[in-house]
Amino acid sequence: MKTQNQHAPARTISSVFTGRGFVKDSLIFWAVVAGLAVLGALIGDNYIRHVFILVFIWCIVIASWDLILGYAGIFNYAQLVFFAFGAYSSAMLSIYAGFTPLLSIACAAGVGAAVGALIALPSLRLKGEYVALFTFAVHLALPPVIQQGKAIGMGGHTGLLGVPWLNLFGHQVSTIDKLTWFWVSLAFGSVCVYLIYFIVLRGRMGLAFIAMRDAGTFAQSIGVNEGKYKLLAFVVSAVFTAIAGGVYAHYTTVVTPKILGTEFFLMAMVMIAVGGLGRFPGAILGVFIVVIGNELLRSFDDYRLLLLGVAVVILVIFFPGGLVGLQRRRSAGRGGQ
Amino acid sequence: MTQMIEVLLSGMTQGAVYCLIAIGLSLVYGASRILNFAHGSLYTLGGYIAWYFVVGYFSLPLWLGILAAIPILAASGVAIERVIIRPLRSSANWKVNTIMVTLGLAFIIENGLQLVFGPGTKTIPAFAEGVVTMGGITLSWYKIWIFVVSLGLVGALEFFLTHTRYGQAVRAVSQDMQGASQVGINVNQVFALTFALSVVLTGIAGILLAPVFLISPLGGWGPFLKAFVIVVLGGLGSTKGAFVAAFILGVLEAYIIFFLGSNWAMPAWLVMLIVVLMIRPKGLFGVWEN
Repeated sequence: MKTQNQHAPARTISSVFTGRGFVKDSLIFWAVVAGLAVLGALIGDNYIRHVFILVFIWCIVIASWDLILGYAGIFNYAQLVFFAFGAYSSAMLSIYAGFTPLLSIACAAGVGAAVGALIALPSLRLKGEYVALFTFAVHLALPPVIQQGKAIGMGGHTGLLGVPWLNLFGHQVSTIDKLTWFWVSLAFGSVCVYLIYFIVLRGRMGLAFIAMRDAGTFAQSIGVNEGKYKLLAFVVSAVFTAIAGGVYAHYTTVVTPKILGTEFFLMAMVMIAVGGLGRFPGAILGVFIVVIGNELLRSFDDYRLLLLGVAVVILVIFFPGGLVGLQRRRSAGRGGQ
Repeated sequence: MTQMIEVLLSGMTQGAVYCLIAIGLSLVYGASRILNFAHGSLYTLGGYIAWYFVVGYFSLPLWLGILAAIPILAASGVAIERVIIRPLRSSANWKVNTIMVTLGLAFIIENGLQLVFGPGTKTIPAFAEGVVTMGGITLSWYKIWIFVVSLGLVGALEFFLTHTRYGQAVRAVSQDMQGASQVGINVNQVFALTFALSVVLTGIAGILLAPVFLISPLGGWGPFLKAFVIVVLGGLGSTKGAFVAAFILGVLEAYIIFFLGSNWAMPAWLVMLIVVLMIRPKGLFGVWEN
């Protein structure tokens, strides 16, 4: 990943605007993905594979969060709500309706789109931190709703158990089969991340997002439809996150309200804080560092969440731009603000 | 009928305490435009500090516990502003950065409390026992006390903001930060002051409610969400608005709990939030701004 960091056109946004270096960057991206795929076969240890599977799933979540928070500049903190909806809907569809997992993940994406639009509607009228609070309020209010949802088969506190294994063209992929899962999650992760950073954000939509973020009024005056693109930011972000949720559900075969607990939320925040917002591949690097770091911290289990919280605060205060901010500052030749 | 009045009165006492939490949130936002996501966990912190003094390690009476907690809460408020908020104020993305750090701080406080005091719930005995019965309506003395103390604190704050030099400085900074600093107001000092006041107010609210609800490390998010709904309904930065909204929503909550059960309280607050945001996003008395 190091080499990718150095070559990525993250330094100035203008090059991303014009799509300059698109083919070269794509090639580097897929080369890294191919390298990871080979690496998966070389690693013998299933635990390390498991950690990488988590990394790839998280990459989708964080890339979509980066899309809405970093690129579109919308303070959305309901990202894990999308994830939870994706996981629950995919699990429920495959358990109760007997959908094959790939189909139910596709349906979960549809559910994600609907939830994204639903959360977007009130948010469109709000500004700045109001959006942050509204979306976070949704996040906080969801676990009690899931508890109430026991009546419609959401499993309540214990969650949904026995989510079916992924069925790949007639081949059952059990949770134990880490190598296949490594490739499956890498495939999902790389395609989603590529679509987010290379197709959506380098296209017209990404341009509109950045314009809205950097100069909202000006963007509107030159004809960027603010309402439409904010809605799109929510929907696109939610669709990808819901897919991640679906993959996660079929990988762990258990879905509980823990998804919306402190640990997941803190992890996501630290990833963003480590990587930095709005500049590929910052957030993705953040995912690798944080998931692996979190596993290394397993032995400090009591203090882990506290340490994660401290990490967020310290990183944001001392490295406000994350890793990419650091690189940018160095290449600009001077430190400070 | 008497039951309805009882629900109304209990909603009003609840509203008075919510008012304390909400005004603390609103005060900081008004002065520094920072939404403190750690506000709820500071509410919990207040409860734990009082528990430490009253039940856990010393056996002080509750009123003395509150007095002992005040300087600690004020100092934490100043420390938060100094250490966490001030370095970020000049940065380019200070809005998203302050949201991040205050959220991070909330998790630090929560998990810190959980490590120190354990994940279980704690309670503090009320300082007033017994009930008063008037015309068939029963009210506990403690609730009356909560009501009086909360209103007293809100009144004192209002007096401070309107009649003292420091209070006027706070209002000046709220209205126009740059203008205030041009006429010689030390803006940083005002920020620190508002943070201290805000933490003290929410901490005291946490202490006052500790005998009624239980204290638990994660218990701050509920009050925080409620305070936010109140502040939004009242208008961000408006003390008067928060005061009126706290009573409206407190009473509404009491009736919802009475008719539908306490499971519906949090979803109801969320619905109220959405309704307020859709119908009148600038709040009852707020000024909509960019």
